[in-house]
Amino acid sequence: MWAYEKRLQYPVKIKKTCPKTAQLIISQYGGPDGELSASMRYLAQRYSMPVKKVGGLLTDIGTEEINHMEIICAIVYQLTRNLTPEQAKTAGFDAYYIDHTAGLWPQAAGGVPFTSLEFQSKGDAFADLYEDLAAEQKARTVYENLLRVIDDPDVRAPLKFLRAREIVHFNRFGEAIEMTKEKLDSKNFYYFNPEFDKKMFDNKL
Amino acid sequence: MNNCKCTPESLAMGSFPIQEWCEPYELNSALYNGTIFPCLNMNFHAAEDIPCPFCDKAAAANLSDREKAMNEIAMIGFAVNDLTLYLDTHPDCQHGIKMMRELLQKRLDTLADYAAKYNALTQLSVVTGKPESDKYEWGEGPMPWEGGLI
Repeated sequence: MWAYEKRLQYPVKIKKTCPKTAQLIISQYGGPDGELSASMRYLAQRYSMPVKKVGGLLTDIGTEEINHMEIICAIVYQLTRNLTPEQAKTAGFDAYYIDHTAGLWPQAAGGVPFTSLEFQSKGDAFADLYEDLAAEQKARTVYENLLRVIDDPDVRAPLKFLRAREIVHFNRFGEAIEMTKEKLDSKNFYYFNPEFDKKMFDNKL
Repeated sequence: MNNCKCTPESLAMGSFPIQEWCEPYELNSALYNGTIFPCLNMNFHAAEDIPCPFCDKAAAANLSDREKAMNEIAMIGFAVNDLTLYLDTHPDCQHGIKMMRELLQKRLDTLADYAAKYNALTQLSVVTGKPESDKYEWGEGPMPWEGGLI
């Protein structure tokens, strides 16, 4: 169950129209390391997590990623809400404009549509948590790539915030791996899959 | 803290340091830095020149009361978000529990105050903000993505 709160997690107040910047940032909406992919990944993986507190962490981080998706969409929206036909034609936003005008649609910077093939839910706690660590690192890289090439301070401040969250989430997923390890035999963490071979896991507890 | 320990290192398995409590930032710096914890704040060379929109007193003086109230809600709300994740992996940390209880109370109060003066940001604050009203004002106020229009 979710409840909406009518504000952004980080305020976004962009004064200058810039479709070129929107074209780059939209990747964090629907791209391979975007916030939609992040939220769907964690919220899908949580159901079968063997350690209850790790399922709780995935719920809370997955929820925060939805907030981040909303921040990204607000940035793209504010960068294009006053778009003129001339700007649409010349500023690198032309192909997107033809298909979506100035509406929001999840795609990567290169135009590839969002797909669930961009994340995994493997049904194995370690496999999933290592994917989550990698996902946070890849998203950090995207925010750093954006920060190198975007000049508008109104856009840079929320990007700095979002980058910092990737590092915090990375540490939390590392802690989640430690919480999972604590419930297993350190001589062989791979003797069974605690998410599937439930009887063996229950016997251990 | 009971869980500030790592399991012994094993071949073919990663070992991850558990964060220890470090004295949190002020709430305005925390929102700007993207974490309440200085020990988890790792800056990027191409992001060092970004000014803090919530820290500059002169800039804050130019904000409307409504913008100030909204920033206050954002700062408290973000500290709650970051502390939520910390407590997910440190459920027995007394520093975190105390800070969370204080923040949640502030969050309730500021949301009710905002709903009383401007518009409700949460459905519950429709009634906590204006307990005597017979109106239902959930549809009032600007949409969050409109940014500077408040």
